[in-house]
Amino acid sequence: MGVSEWFKERLGLDDLPFFRTPDYMYKVEYWLGALVAGSFIYTVISGLILLLYYNPEAGYSSTETLIQEVPYGSVVLYSHLYGAYAMIILAYVHMFRNYFDGAYKKPRELLWILGVLMLVLTLGTAFLGYSLIGDALATSAVDVGEGIITSIPSLSFLIPILFGNYDAGDYGRVLAWHIILVALIGVLFMLHFFMAEHYGMMPSKKEKNKAPAVYTKEEWQKFNPWWPRNFVYMTSLVFMTWGFILLIPNALAYLNGLPQELNPFLNPKPAPPPNSPAAAHITTYPPWFFLFLYKIADFTSDVVVFLLIGVIIPLIYLLLVPFIDRSPYLDLKKRRLFTAFGILMITYLIQTTIWGDLTPGVEIPVYQQVIVYLPPAVITLAGVFLIPTSRKAVASPYGTLGFLVASLLFSGSLVTLVVSPSALTATVFALFAVLFLLAARSLTPVAIKVEKQSQQPEPQPVVSESPRNLEVKKRLAEVLISLLFIMSVVLAAQLWTIPATGYASNMFGVDLGLIFVMLGEAISLYHYVVYRK
Amino acid sequence: MIKFRLGKDEKEVLDYSNLTFFRKLASKIRDPRTKFDVKEFAKRGDDYLFNYVNKNVGSVDEKRRKFLKSLVFGIAAAAVVGIIPGVRVLVPPTITSVSGFPKSLLVDSSGNPIKASSLPVNSPVILLFEYPMTGEPNFLLNLGDSKGNPVEIPPTTVTIPQTGKTYQFPGGVGPNKSIVAYSAICQHLGCTPPYIHFYPPQYVSPAQLTASEPDQLSAEALLAAKQNHVPALIHCDCHGSTYDPYKGAAVLTGPTVRPLPAVLLEWDSTTDYLYAIGAIGVATYPNGANGVPSNDPTDDLSNSYGSPVGDKTTASGTENPFSS
Repeated sequence: MGVSEWFKERLGLDDLPFFRTPDYMYKVEYWLGALVAGSFIYTVISGLILLLYYNPEAGYSSTETLIQEVPYGSVVLYSHLYGAYAMIILAYVHMFRNYFDGAYKKPRELLWILGVLMLVLTLGTAFLGYSLIGDALATSAVDVGEGIITSIPSLSFLIPILFGNYDAGDYGRVLAWHIILVALIGVLFMLHFFMAEHYGMMPSKKEKNKAPAVYTKEEWQKFNPWWPRNFVYMTSLVFMTWGFILLIPNALAYLNGLPQELNPFLNPKPAPPPNSPAAAHITTYPPWFFLFLYKIADFTSDVVVFLLIGVIIPLIYLLLVPFIDRSPYLDLKKRRLFTAFGILMITYLIQTTIWGDLTPGVEIPVYQQVIVYLPPAVITLAGVFLIPTSRKAVASPYGTLGFLVASLLFSGSLVTLVVSPSALTATVFALFAVLFLLAARSLTPVAIKVEKQSQQPEPQPVVSESPRNLEVKKRLAEVLISLLFIMSVVLAAQLWTIPATGYASNMFGVDLGLIFVMLGEAISLYHYVVYRK
Repeated sequence: MIKFRLGKDEKEVLDYSNLTFFRKLASKIRDPRTKFDVKEFAKRGDDYLFNYVNKNVGSVDEKRRKFLKSLVFGIAAAAVVGIIPGVRVLVPPTITSVSGFPKSLLVDSSGNPIKASSLPVNSPVILLFEYPMTGEPNFLLNLGDSKGNPVEIPPTTVTIPQTGKTYQFPGGVGPNKSIVAYSAICQHLGCTPPYIHFYPPQYVSPAQLTASEPDQLSAEALLAAKQNHVPALIHCDCHGSTYDPYKGAAVLTGPTVRPLPAVLLEWDSTTDYLYAIGAIGVATYPNGANGVPSNDPTDDLSNSYGSPVGDKTTASGTENPFSS
């Protein structure tokens, strides 16, 4: 304990303006922001390494040199890409989680708005980063971006400002903007972070069910201080995030010949350069996080309408929602309309993304748009407004929410299957059908139980975990930590034998990722043994 | 009897962790080595017991915690040890700075030097060698007339249509002065073989107008060949650029605005070996292709392609585009 105490004293860890955390918050869903921050930090570090090698005057060939010749260059490059992917996915999850929790309400309105702005900046940075490779996909993505801007004549002055001499092969400006936007994200992140620490994490609805959902100073003082428990827990999450960011793309690098529909999601490798003969034979597609915009562009030829549907309306809604939804209630059933909007946003985002992936650039007539987008709206609105108000009659709000989303995806994929039947749509449909059935089944016992309960109103006593069980689990955790230690030593030794370049070099990323995941898991188990009561 | 799961109206008497503690304490008291003094305990009571526990039983959790902590730090150390070889990512791959063109002996795929007199005339097989850097392919051609007899390629002046500048092409080498070598990367947009390749005289015919890619000839190319009395062509099927192999790969038809750079060859008449000794013309595509072409062929030595080929380079040809 001496070392820990020494640091605590020297760094004034007890006086940090960090949120003290109640016991029930040591679950990953309260730490989604930390996951986003973790992937942000990973992406910044790997990006700085890439900056040592990238030459904006020879975007494609310097990327190729990096992959082929720089020691572990492909490991860094692919994980940089997936760090950005992870950041985008986690930012969406973080945002929607807070949306459904009503975390945008008083007093966290500014926190929410900063977060939405950071999402926009993140997507912009990702687009610019994607353009830096200079392969056939990147140049076509930039062409599309330039096309959107030039079709509004008063905006075309932006093109030289944003892209510089991109078409002539000079990516200097794109690189500069990529870095500037990251710096902006960093600044906003600091603000977002300290505001989040100031208000504290969003409490459970069981504790605070009305805005302002903040703990009072007295309540707050009783919670766990940041050092050391929060630090331990956070470290475990960050290492696991980093581990998966390293592990997944480097394992995927060994998959070859993916079907075209999976390429936007699973292929970390650059496409051929735009001037090569091979470029004429590939289907161009945007990065997966812009597939939805790509599809919306097929709905209308009017760019203003496109921007309104795809960008401006959702963005303005998200920025203004703290001021539209002004009731103090956090309960989903007391703000049904906003719940419905949230579910619809998720459904439409996923639906349109899949659609854009399956039929890139195919124009969609209005009646098909109605077929695809109307049923989810009807189901959601009906579903949300039919949930009974009485507390006993429903399952947990999240369970119901899950069921709703599952049924939406189910119906959406059914429509997609009907509109464009193919092996992939069939698979997606089958997948969502299974999901829907599982969700329905998981809800059924709840419904039956509710009926039984209403017959005999005596509430069941809460059975907490018996000390013996906990003790057994802790012993198990100790054994697991020992096993993880042994495996990590073996893997670390193996890392020294992996060649720095060539086909086998991506195994370095896989192995290092595994060690990080194991380290994160071990810290998490340690946290369980030491702090779990 | 000890019950671990409580029934409805039962209350907990003893915590499990307390029970384990008591069991441990009891076994310690029975252990003669710990010298539990009953008389002292009777005299001082709680105080004695407290000291005894602190000394002998200790805090179980503290030990366990330290052990686990060291394991976690062990894994962290393993991660650090694992990262160490990865630090090599900061070391740039060795940049071999090349000040001049290497003199490279042309060898076949089994490593034997290529004999100039045994090179087939007007061969449809695409024969390529990398020079001066890896990743820079060049055609090796033994040119003949329409009857298949080798023809002497005289020195000639080549014009770069893009700038109007000219340079001197030194002509063919070998026993019949019929052997030439040109970059195999099209100067228009960088297409590589088999999209760009040599069309021997028998294939410079209207029959190729309808052939499938990559053997098609455009009507424009055919017309240019006829007008200039060129028996054989280098033609790129990507966009239709045509070059005259007899005149230093000068431009016959667009869209290219630059001739193919030529590789300077040297023929050793005593051994019949061929050497590549330099390049002339514009730089290999894409160097100098953005806007103004670079007239400096040493741009080919930029390391963006790879490493220099060294004193030997392999010329290999396996693909006959016309037979597929």
